[in-house]
Amino acid sequence: MSTEPSNLQGQPAPPKGSSRAQSWGGEIGAVALFALSLIFIFGGLKLGLGSFFRLGTGAFPFISGSILAVLAIFVGLHEWRSKGLSHPPDWISFLAIVAAIAIFASTADRLGLVPAVFMSVIIASFPDRSLSLMGKAILGAIVSAACWVLFIRLLNLPFKAFVGM
Amino acid sequence: MDILSSFYSGLLVVLEPHNLMYCFIGVFVGTFIGVLPGIGSMAAIAMILPLTFYLEPTSALVMIAGVYYGAEYGGSIASILMNIPGTPAASITAIEGYPMAKKGRAGVALFSTATASFGGGMIGMIVMAALSPSLAKLALSFGPADYFAVILLGLIAASAVSNGGALKGITMVVAGLMLGTIGIDLTTGDLRYTMGIPELRDGVHIVIVAMGLFGVSEVIASIRTNKGGSIAQKIDYNHFYPTREEWKSLFAPIMRGGAIGSVFGALPGTGQTIAAAIAYAVEKRVNRAKNLFGTGVVPGVAVPEAANNSATQTAFIPTLTLGVPGSPPMAIVIGALMIYGITPGPRLLTEEPDLFWGLVASFLVGNVMLIILNIPLIGIWVRLLQIPYKYMYPTIIVLICIGVYSLNNNVFDIWLTLIIGAVGYWMKLYKFEPAPLLLGFVLGPLMEEQLRRAMLLSRGDPMVFLERPISATLIAITVAVLIYAFYAAIRAKKITASTSSEVQQEGPNT
Repeated sequence: MSTEPSNLQGQPAPPKGSSRAQSWGGEIGAVALFALSLIFIFGGLKLGLGSFFRLGTGAFPFISGSILAVLAIFVGLHEWRSKGLSHPPDWISFLAIVAAIAIFASTADRLGLVPAVFMSVIIASFPDRSLSLMGKAILGAIVSAACWVLFIRLLNLPFKAFVGM
Repeated sequence: MDILSSFYSGLLVVLEPHNLMYCFIGVFVGTFIGVLPGIGSMAAIAMILPLTFYLEPTSALVMIAGVYYGAEYGGSIASILMNIPGTPAASITAIEGYPMAKKGRAGVALFSTATASFGGGMIGMIVMAALSPSLAKLALSFGPADYFAVILLGLIAASAVSNGGALKGITMVVAGLMLGTIGIDLTTGDLRYTMGIPELRDGVHIVIVAMGLFGVSEVIASIRTNKGGSIAQKIDYNHFYPTREEWKSLFAPIMRGGAIGSVFGALPGTGQTIAAAIAYAVEKRVNRAKNLFGTGVVPGVAVPEAANNSATQTAFIPTLTLGVPGSPPMAIVIGALMIYGITPGPRLLTEEPDLFWGLVASFLVGNVMLIILNIPLIGIWVRLLQIPYKYMYPTIIVLICIGVYSLNNNVFDIWLTLIIGAVGYWMKLYKFEPAPLLLGFVLGPLMEEQLRRAMLLSRGDPMVFLERPISATLIAITVAVLIYAFYAAIRAKKITASTSSEVQQEGPNT
């Protein structure tokens, strides 16, 4: 495993063997799709199917939900037999991006655009270890200043740069 | 009004200074985003879309079209210089383009692609101008059952050829149809699947779906694989122009590529990647220099580019005349038009002639801009490629957040993008193509409306779909596509199984 090629700034790629253990994701996805189809089927029944002449609100979701239920079963079987993971997952990048977006969503209204951009740039750049914390802060400052100029000064979008100022 | 005079009036619309400016911004921003490795035209269009809501429809459409073909061209730059295609179609260009760059002929490759893009774009534009009016006339005789069948064919054709296989493609289409039902039912006014969340009353915004599936998940997947900053070869600015022989060898491939591209672009569900791949395969057989293909030859780099760009233009034909998008970016175009209250369909040509012909003429202006922009600005794009990706992707994520936030000034939309982006990453890991989901999402409401109308008009007789000649033919084609897709999948599986068993048998001896 130690001979795995490194693909970014000396960080090793996730070992191939781990994809095997994590490859239940395909089956879990199929189960999730099946559950989703049930929500739409029962939701459709509750909304009312109407008649052939006058299709009800729930008819189209009911039909598409039923088709999805059948497809999800086939997808589950297919995934079970083929283990269709195409790349090893990169959970660090995934978590960093999820956290960056979450920070933006929870601060944009409360603190304003500039702090939200600054914080989410720093968090998003977490997976890259070649950039020091200072470097990340400088990048955050440059991007938030550029966003302020572009979106608030030039495009006049109705954002507040800082809330309460 | 004949085609030429309509085109002329469209040209006057585009040449108005503000439209000219939006065309330029579109082409520039599109090339800019397309050059970034791993970020394709879908993400580019989704990112620019919130900004176009402030414009009038014609300017918005001209700008979106500019972003679309700018991004496609930008994708070729990244694929030639770094062998990292920005768009799937550009991977075909890389087959010849990257070897040319390694030989120190990147400048010539870029010049040839710019010329081929222009040639292909012009062929696509002529085909669009010539065919759209008659197709629109034909479409006027379409009833709801026929429309339902066209949409069904479009969805099945698009999903059956998706990379992850027909089964997953169709599953994603159906999931998209369901996602499209969230919100108020326009016929009855009932709320569907909003889970009591007021922000979901108007449904999920197309920008949110596109940003989540194409923007967020593409960025996550590209962080580790994308370094940026290493160019195959320094560009020699004195060697841009092909030799005289190469000039001569450009013409026929551009014509062939443009012709093949315009056919595949107009067919629902195929799009540029297939157009570029088929055009390259054909050229490899018919070209005089076919033995040199793969080593970096000018016709090989020109033909997929011409096909790609002409398909980009002709994809607008079914989109605007039938209201059925031929490709995922066109689904976003339809979504954008609906936001303006314009329903794409056969009446668009007569009711919004300025919009339609303005768009057609913008292809000419935009493609000229693309050439003007790319010859002198190639140095800027090269420098952009040299910026390490670690500086680029946090910026892209922030731009996605701001774009989504600006839709309704609502952070709920950002949270929704986050959820869709996370699901999109899972889909990427397990080869579930996001494009069919987006097509299903956009076409679902149209499909439901046509289904309801067809059933109402036929007094509840489902046989109406098989009794009308147009819908019966389209449904027969759909069934044929489905059967072929599953047959091809089973055959591919058998071939893989037999090769792997052969490898296993040979294994111990080697």
